[in-house]
Parts: sequence; structure tokens; C-alpha cells
Amino acid sequence: MKQLFMVTGALLRTLLRNRQALFWTFFFPVLLMVVFGFLGNSSFKLHLLVAGGGSPAEQRIVQAFKKIPYFQVQTKGRSAAVHLVKVGQADAVLVLPKDAAAPPWKASLIYNSSNLQTAQQTVSAVESAAAQINLAFTGRPAVLAVQAKAASGSRSSSFLDFLLPGILALMAMQNSLFGVAGSLTRWKEKGVLRRFLATPLRPLQFLGGVVLYQLVFGLLTSAVIVAIAMLALNANVYLPILPLLIVVVVGMAAFLSLGFVIAGISRTEEATLPIINVISFPMMFLSGVFFPVTTLPPFLRAIVHYLPLTYLVDGVRGLMSGQYAPWSPQVGGDILALAAWFLVLAVISTRTWRWE
Amino acid sequence: MAGGITLPHSEVLRIVGVRKRYGQVQAVDGIHLTIEPGGIFGLLGPNGAGKTTTLEMIEGLRRPDEGEIRYGEWDLQHHQKVARERFGVQLQTSAFFELLRVEETIDLFASFYARTLPREELIERFELQEKRTAYVQNLSGGQRQRLAVAVALVNDPEVVFLDEPTAGLDPQARRNVWDAVRHLRDEGRTVVLTTHYMDEAEALCDRLAVMDHGHILDEGSPQELIQRHQPGAMIEMDPSVPIPDDLQLPALERIQRDAIATALVTQKLDETLAGLANWAHEREVPLTGLRTRTATLEDVFLHLTGRSLRD
Repeated sequence: MKQLFMVTGALLRTLLRNRQALFWTFFFPVLLMVVFGFLGNSSFKLHLLVAGGGSPAEQRIVQAFKKIPYFQVQTKGRSAAVHLVKVGQADAVLVLPKDAAAPPWKASLIYNSSNLQTAQQTVSAVESAAAQINLAFTGRPAVLAVQAKAASGSRSSSFLDFLLPGILALMAMQNSLFGVAGSLTRWKEKGVLRRFLATPLRPLQFLGGVVLYQLVFGLLTSAVIVAIAMLALNANVYLPILPLLIVVVVGMAAFLSLGFVIAGISRTEEATLPIINVISFPMMFLSGVFFPVTTLPPFLRAIVHYLPLTYLVDGVRGLMSGQYAPWSPQVGGDILALAAWFLVLAVISTRTWRWE
Repeated sequence: MAGGITLPHSEVLRIVGVRKRYGQVQAVDGIHLTIEPGGIFGLLGPNGAGKTTTLEMIEGLRRPDEGEIRYGEWDLQHHQKVARERFGVQLQTSAFFELLRVEETIDLFASFYARTLPREELIERFELQEKRTAYVQNLSGGQRQRLAVAVALVNDPEVVFLDEPTAGLDPQARRNVWDAVRHLRDEGRTVVLTTHYMDEAEALCDRLAVMDHGHILDEGSPQELIQRHQPGAMIEMDPSVPIPDDLQLPALERIQRDAIATALVTQKLDETLAGLANWAHEREVPLTGLRTRTATLEDVFLHLTGRSLRD
């Protein structure tokens, strides 16, 4: 065991010194999260303009709307405001009558009608806000007072929350494939492996050291990505550590075996990279990393369902979204499927593996 | 080494009828060798002669198709652990992890063995003090080679295998490696090395086996080989001198031609030389580039294989 740990330690040390490799390990996942995190930013506010020509009524109404959290309110001249609504830069403009002094005020709401759903939301939101404001102004007791309260612990699910588990699964696949297949073919080519074989270190100790190194590295990078997503990008996910760990480790084991299969087939590092890409690209786009598998056409779904990355994405996402309870049968099913992939690929790799 | 010095006791290495084939190529074709303990044993031959394959079979890195390799009483195919524990190996392409430091590399390999030499001793001995914390990727060719030999010694081996230890090194670095190799022998270790440099074989090796096409052509000390195959002297001149193949001169044994020189091989230098002078004078042939020398391993090799190592 000591020898195995020495190999793992040496590899971890060389990795930490390889700034370039580290940079690229984190660059794409973080870039994807930042870009898609902004795209899917769902902290939704209605952008309402008020055109009242600076009358006292305008001020009072703006004050009232500002108290309602889902409105972003601004005053504007009438024609400028209407233009902004037309081009979609604001959701609606509330036009007050000129010289409105004392209530009641008759205002008209001009809204952008290009998107039916948004238009309906806008109109009903302004109407219900108007009803509230009326109550507040008149001071008349309400017949039915409804006080809305957020359910404690409820979460909104942003696109980043959807994407993060996919990225973790994708990293587990890519790191395992490139780490094992890429490094091993390079070491084979350069004679690094032969040199180790000439020592009392047993081949399985060396490979065990490589596998342990990959697992440690994979888990550390995953932890860093989760931390960045949650702390810097406000991702909102569940972290049932133990089941997640099991799913990810079994998933990595499957992809590490796949890496060994590729390293066995391929003779040179140059030949390895295209093989990895051919295998990983379809999975990257089909297995639900970026969009749900359910959006695929049925015939494709039938195939994609059985790919290892699909199970890994499903398990990680199910757990992190809270959709699957930590020890639910769905999680167990994903783990079993990944374990089956691991076994099959491990058996194949013992057949294809060559030390030179 | 401080304290009680125990010199390694190496055993006799016997290679008996060993063959190895890669696809269509018979890399090693039934060789027999006995390497006595102590001393520097050289496998000399051109690239592709089967030297490296022979070495790697002894080291346990390749399995012979046929034949037996014995170290003392052990059949190494059934006692690979003996070879791995007691042999030190420097491979032709000794690549280490590029981003590991020199001292970390030595420590890593030392961790695989029960018996080791102290790291500091190895670093000092191979003059790696200034490079101890350098990454392997930043070492020069000579420094890499010294590290490779240092790592080969990490287990205080009885037999050290060096595959082309000076390939690609400048003359100074080569001489440093030679000194290190002689030092290994003086400590009582057996050194087995391959080379395709004749001067290296002649300067370094106590015994030599000349290999070509997977066969051992002859074996002996450099002097024995020269005596056996190329006694006497050589009269060389530029290849442009029109020496006929049927030239008759006193004591002339034969004529050797290659791209660099035409050589007259003789047992009696004075007689042949006088004859050559007369011949040239009568025909008014200028003997451009005329020089004489005693035979070297290069000539032995040419004689044994019919071709020059320079090719």
C-alpha cells in the first residue's frame, strides 16, 4: 500500500505544478456556469414605467409601487416610455392623466404584447397592485385579507442549478478519460511505465496509484466547482454528501475503466485524443448535461438512456435538485447501472490492456 | 557510504538459447552468453541488432519466446522478484515524471525497495546537488542521464544495466558517465551496458559481445577481439585513390572499402607499405590522405558484419 500511495502522492504533486492543466480543468466548467448562470437568471422583476408628467399623483403612485418587491419602477416622459415598451426594454407603462390632483385617478396601462404570457403576468400584476394600493389609500377594511407568505425553505430552480450537476458529471467523465487514457499512453510512449515495471513495484500497485490519484483529483475539483457555484454564483442545490459521493465515485470508476480500455487500444497519445473525443462528445451533448434527455426524439432517447453519462447526470442531478430522496430507488438504480458499466469496462480493459 | 560497507555480491548471469520475435522480426535469435560477476560487460552492435531486447529480457521487462536466463541459482523467469530487487536498470529512454523534482524522483523509486542507498549519497555521487530541487523537465541531457543512473543505483544493486548510457551526450558528459560506470565496477558491481560507440566499448568494457541481427557474432575482451579478427595494421587512404581489387602487395591480407577510406589490411606494415610506395611511384598514382594505424574494434566489427557501424 505504501508504494501505491507514493505513486498517488507523486502524481498529485506533479498535477499541482501543472498550472496550465489546472487552469483548463476549471476554466470551462466555470465559464459555462457563469455564462449560463446569467442567461438563466430568474430573479424576475416587472419593469414598469410611470408617465405622469411630474404631478404629485405620479410621486405617490411610484412610492406605492416601489413597496411591492416584484416591480422595478421608473418615471419617464410619456412618448419615451411608450417607445421603451414597444421595443421591449420595459414591460409596461402606466400613463396618468395630466394635472391629476386628487384621486380617483384614471390611468391607462400600455403593455408590450409580443409575449402573451409576460403580457398577462404584467397586466394582472399591475391590476392586483392597483387593488392593494386602493385599499391602502382608502383605509377601508378588506372583506378578505390575504397575506402571502413564502413557504420556508422553498427554492426556485435556476438554470445554473440544473446545469451544475451536469457539469460535475461531465467533469468526472472528461477528467477520468483524459487522465487515464491520455497520461497512460503518454507514459507508455515515453518509457515511464517500463521504468516502473523494472522495479519491485507491481503493475497493479502502479495502476492502483493512478486510479486513487484520479479519484482524489476528481473529487477535489468537483468540490471546488460546487463551492464556486454556490458561493460566487448563487447556485441553490442540495448536497446529500454520502449518496452523492457514491454516485460520483462509481461513475468515475466506470469512466476510469473506459480510459483504461482506450489506453489499451491506442498506441500513441496522438491517437488517443481523437478516440476520447469520439466517445465523449456524443455523450456530452446527448446525456442531459445541458438540456434534459426528455427533449430528445424518442428513438434517440432509447439509446441515450443506457449511456453511462446519462446515469451519472441523472443520479447527480436527482440528488442535487432534491428530486430524488438520498436513498431512493432511482439513485440506487443509477448506482447499479454505473456499477454494471464499470464491471463490463473493467473486464474489457483487462483484455485490451498492454504495457507497451 | 558511512559505516560498515558491504560490497554487493553479484552472481553469474547465464543466457541460454534465448529467442525473441516481434511479428516478422526475429529480434534475438538464439543467443548464449555467460556474464561473470564483476567487471563491465558490453553488448556492441548497430541499432536494431537486438541489444536492447536482450537487456530487457534479462531485466524481466520482456519474456523470451524460448530459452533460459539464470542469475546464480535462480531461473529469472520464475523468480522475477530476484531480478527486480537486485538489479538496477537504466533504460534507453528513462523518462520520469516531468514535474517531479530530482530528489522526489529518487525518493519515489527508493520507496519501492527494501534495501536502498541514502539519497544524499546518490545526489553527491552524480553531482546533482545544485539540481536537487529542479523539475526533471528542466534538466539537461547529461543531468537526466546522471539522474537515470542514480535511480538505477537506488536499491544498491548487484548488477547494473545501462542501455546506451551516453547516447546523445557531449564528450565531457560522456566522460563523466564513463567515470561513474568504472566506479560501479570498482565497487564490485557487475555492469552490463549496450553501446554502438566503438570507442566507448574499447575504453570501458572488460568483455564484449558483438551483436548483429539478433546473433552474437563473437565475444571476448576488446584486445582479444582485435587480435582474433584484425591483427596487424591498416594502411588507409582516400577512397578516390584508384586501388584495384586485385592489387598484389607483400603481406597484404585484404582490401576494405567504405565511404571514408580505402584500407589495406596487413600483417607486416613495413613490407606492405614499401610495396605500396613502389606501386604508386611506377604508376604515378598520388596516395592522397595516406595514413597508417593499428586495428580497432571498428575494424573488428567491419570484419564480422561486413558493414561499418557508421552506416
